[in-house]
Amino acid sequence: MAGALVRPAPGTRAGPARRPRPRVRSRRPSRLHLILAPLAALMLAPLVWMVLLSISTQEETRRFPPGLPGGIRWQNYTAAWSEGPFGHWLLNSTIVTTGCVVSNLVLCSLAGYAFARIRFFGSRVVFVGVLATLMVPFQIVMLPTLIVMRGLHLVDTLGALMGPNLATPFGVFLMRQFFTTLPRELEEAARIDGAGRLRTLTRVLLPLMGPTLATLSVLTFLSIWNDFLWPLIAIQSPGNMTIQMGLQNFQGSHLTNWPVLMAGTVMSQIPVLVVFLIAQRFFVRSIAATGFR
Amino acid sequence: MRTRSLSAGRRIGDRLTSIAVGAALIAVAGCAGGSDSSSSSSRGAVVFWHGYTDQEGKAITQLGREWNTAHPDQKVNVTFAGSNDDALKKTLASFVSGKAPGVAYEYGSSIATLAKRNQTQNLTSLVRSTPSFNWNDFFPAARQGATTPDGGIYGIPALVDNLSLVYNKKLFDAAGISYPTPSWTWTDFQNAARKLTDESKRQFGWAYVNDGSEDTVWRFIALLWQAGGDLLTPDNKKAAFASPAGLSAMRLLHDMAVTDHSVYLDAGDQQYQNLFNSGKIAMLWTGPWDLSGINKNISYGTQFLPGKVTHATIAGPDNYMLFNKNDRDTAWAFLQWLNSPEIHLRFSIATGHLPLRQSETRLPGYQDFLERYPANKVFVENLEKNVTKSRPNIPAYPKISQVIGTAVQSVLLGKAQPQAALDQAREQVDQILAAGA
Amino acid sequence: MTSVTSGMAARAARGDTAGHRPRRADHFAGWAFVSPAVLLIGLFGLVPVAWSMILSFQETDLTSPGTWTGAANYRQMVHDPVFWQAARHTVVYCALFVPITMTLAIPIAVLLNQKVRGITFYRMAVFVPLVTSTVATGVIFNWLYNPQFGPINAGLSKLGLPQQGFFQSSAQALPSVVGMTVWGWLGFAVIIYLSALQHVPRDLMEAAALDGCGRVRAFWRIELPLLAPASAFLLVWLTINALQLFDEVYVTTKGGPLHASTVLVYYLYQQAFVVFEGGYAAAIGTALFLVILVVTVVQLWLGRRSSPYEAG
Repeated sequence: MAGALVRPAPGTRAGPARRPRPRVRSRRPSRLHLILAPLAALMLAPLVWMVLLSISTQEETRRFPPGLPGGIRWQNYTAAWSEGPFGHWLLNSTIVTTGCVVSNLVLCSLAGYAFARIRFFGSRVVFVGVLATLMVPFQIVMLPTLIVMRGLHLVDTLGALMGPNLATPFGVFLMRQFFTTLPRELEEAARIDGAGRLRTLTRVLLPLMGPTLATLSVLTFLSIWNDFLWPLIAIQSPGNMTIQMGLQNFQGSHLTNWPVLMAGTVMSQIPVLVVFLIAQRFFVRSIAATGFR
Repeated sequence: MRTRSLSAGRRIGDRLTSIAVGAALIAVAGCAGGSDSSSSSSRGAVVFWHGYTDQEGKAITQLGREWNTAHPDQKVNVTFAGSNDDALKKTLASFVSGKAPGVAYEYGSSIATLAKRNQTQNLTSLVRSTPSFNWNDFFPAARQGATTPDGGIYGIPALVDNLSLVYNKKLFDAAGISYPTPSWTWTDFQNAARKLTDESKRQFGWAYVNDGSEDTVWRFIALLWQAGGDLLTPDNKKAAFASPAGLSAMRLLHDMAVTDHSVYLDAGDQQYQNLFNSGKIAMLWTGPWDLSGINKNISYGTQFLPGKVTHATIAGPDNYMLFNKNDRDTAWAFLQWLNSPEIHLRFSIATGHLPLRQSETRLPGYQDFLERYPANKVFVENLEKNVTKSRPNIPAYPKISQVIGTAVQSVLLGKAQPQAALDQAREQVDQILAAGA
Repeated sequence: MTSVTSGMAARAARGDTAGHRPRRADHFAGWAFVSPAVLLIGLFGLVPVAWSMILSFQETDLTSPGTWTGAANYRQMVHDPVFWQAARHTVVYCALFVPITMTLAIPIAVLLNQKVRGITFYRMAVFVPLVTSTVATGVIFNWLYNPQFGPINAGLSKLGLPQQGFFQSSAQALPSVVGMTVWGWLGFAVIIYLSALQHVPRDLMEAAALDGCGRVRAFWRIELPLLAPASAFLLVWLTINALQLFDEVYVTTKGGPLHASTVLVYYLYQQAFVVFEGGYAAAIGTALFLVILVVTVVQLWLGRRSSPYEAG
């Protein structure tokens, strides 16, 4: 779906051939590596640490200060995988997350565009109202939200996990902000040609929003995938558990089996990293930015 | 700018509309909240929520399977419901959603809050009218943990822990100190801790969890009892800890942490376990749950806590609680079986949990338990001898705990003198109790 | 250079004054476009918010309708020293966290927008802390900051600098939480800026280069102003989140030592789920709501004024 939304429409002038290509540079590695490499090390530290724990023995994780593992215990990964229905949890998480990402791409594009570019009765109040839903801490609205779910007969279904995330204030706000960065002339030209608003949006504007839609997808995916407290409250049946709840199986109240927990955590984060890797390919200057004028 | 002033009048209209919409939504919410919660799960097996993982999880699942095979008409659905830390939150949520489980594992600290709910089943008459359940066979700590101050029984004991002294033998040998004895005094303890502390090696004699939570508080309560004091007056109406006993307990903490620097202050991340494994901490006051986390290369011993007037220790009892009237009979039958001496001993052997009943220690299988978990012997003897008091199961306890936690923390960090900290805490606790009554 | 900037100014001016009067069709289209999202958000967001505000006038456990107590919870709040302490900490935290995160994110985003070998790897590295669960982050920072055994203090002692208390010191607990959260949120801000940079028209930058304008100057003159919508977004978003800081405190300092890092939502959580003063917690939540609402509206207004394209 993300692909469909960001595919360049036939009407625009740019094709892949016009993708900006690196200019000829000297073969010497860029000096930027001197800044980027330490930065990367700083940011990657937790992942490295998690991977190291996930291949340690339990005894090795029970030392302080921590040290390097003596060998590699891949068994932790098989243990994490077979401890519970890991695949089933992943599937549930994937269903919920994918559904919400797709829905956000559509609904937040529509709403973000309208809030940015259409002047209509009540738009500002409604927009602030959308953001206002985030201004009361979740700890307080958690149980009232459950009352709404009960009214809709969604408690203990995957629907309860998707409902509140089908359209997010985050997505609406993000899209609204980035629609304001597109030059108005683009839209006006299309409208003069007789295109309706929806057509202008889908054929002219959205194809230029590739990086933003990619960002929206990644960050929505991430937040729903990692959500823990809401699924814990809303789901009761083991069959509807998500991956984050499943990871609780490795976290005892007194003693935590760190290697297995970390193996499970690392596995659970792979989909998020894959989604990011795919999405960041769209972080190239949008075609229109060069094609325009 | 121009457009903004033009639309001002309109925005007031918008606001009115939004208020009207809001009111309508509130009405909807009110209806949803008002309708009475109906019990679920009456159609099938009784849902049994637990937070057991690893060995414990396997053992409880196995027992559930056995029960279901033997009682096909009284099936129990043993379900992992997330960590026990979240059990209360999840239970409250289930009340809201109208899908309360038949049985759930709850921390002992939750009983006062849950006992007030309509969903929570009062078990007093069931327990009293079933002589075969043999209520008085449970260790006193377990019984107290399941009972509210008015004498109502709202839980069936699920786990009973207590604190003992766990020490690293190698560090004692290296320092040339003889191992702790059952009659160790506070002075013996403090001196040993000082000698076991070595600044240059970053080695500490003792560790104290200093996050201000109940983890901080219950160790202080044990000290208070050892000095002959108590937390509240017997009627639970006033603070009683600002006594000479309380002062001596606070002084011990102050002397060890601030003067001797012989205490590693754990920030609440439970790093003390790993430091014990790394030979950086010589003595812990901890429970049986930590023993399985001690590495095999560490030779350690367990002993009663040191004493002043007594060698009192404190128990942390958890309960199974019932939340569904329709499920009550089946749940009760299952719990009677699960907590029968033979079955619970099997669970103990599989998990290292302490026995819940005195009679378990007289079963032949108990020797297997001791063989498998030799260090647990002290904890069981503690249950018999040294757990004589319990924390008050009153609704105000969590607030009192916060006050005491702050007081202890301020003394350990050297921010307050023992007497001042006690006086301030007493004032606050008296206020809490006066407001709550 | 002049041609570039004047072009931009012209475009911005047109954007600003393009305010034709809204037509009826616009009202209809606007509502049609926003209503699916707004209805969903309203249903799942607004109802609970309204509900929690009602609870703030009650003595309740959050799960069952309680007894009405009028403004008692609010009166209690005004006289509660810990509440004011928590409010102060929240403001200090927010005032440190938001500017630091945004200031660090811009140069990093610009760096990650360069054509360098392995840029995908670097981009992913910056993204990793976002993915890491808060629990794991907490464990790591508890270790890094450990006064006796942590690597930071070890490094300081090698340099002959004094040892620090970090999470265990009343004075340093809150700044330490800032450090941890900046690290955790940096990737978020960088990604937003990175995607905003893709919207900077390449021809503008090329024109700037032709005009002999240096890279640094081109950044200040062209890229930075065009990042304004993204900055406005981040300012609002990071502030909303910073004022509701909870998870990071919960997994590290637990509000301590001695309330030194107790922020409003942590205090609220304790009231709701530790001591079961649900109504009081809801009152704190409502007060926080009003503050965030005011701050957000002001920020949006400022953002609108600074945005190059936005219609007024």
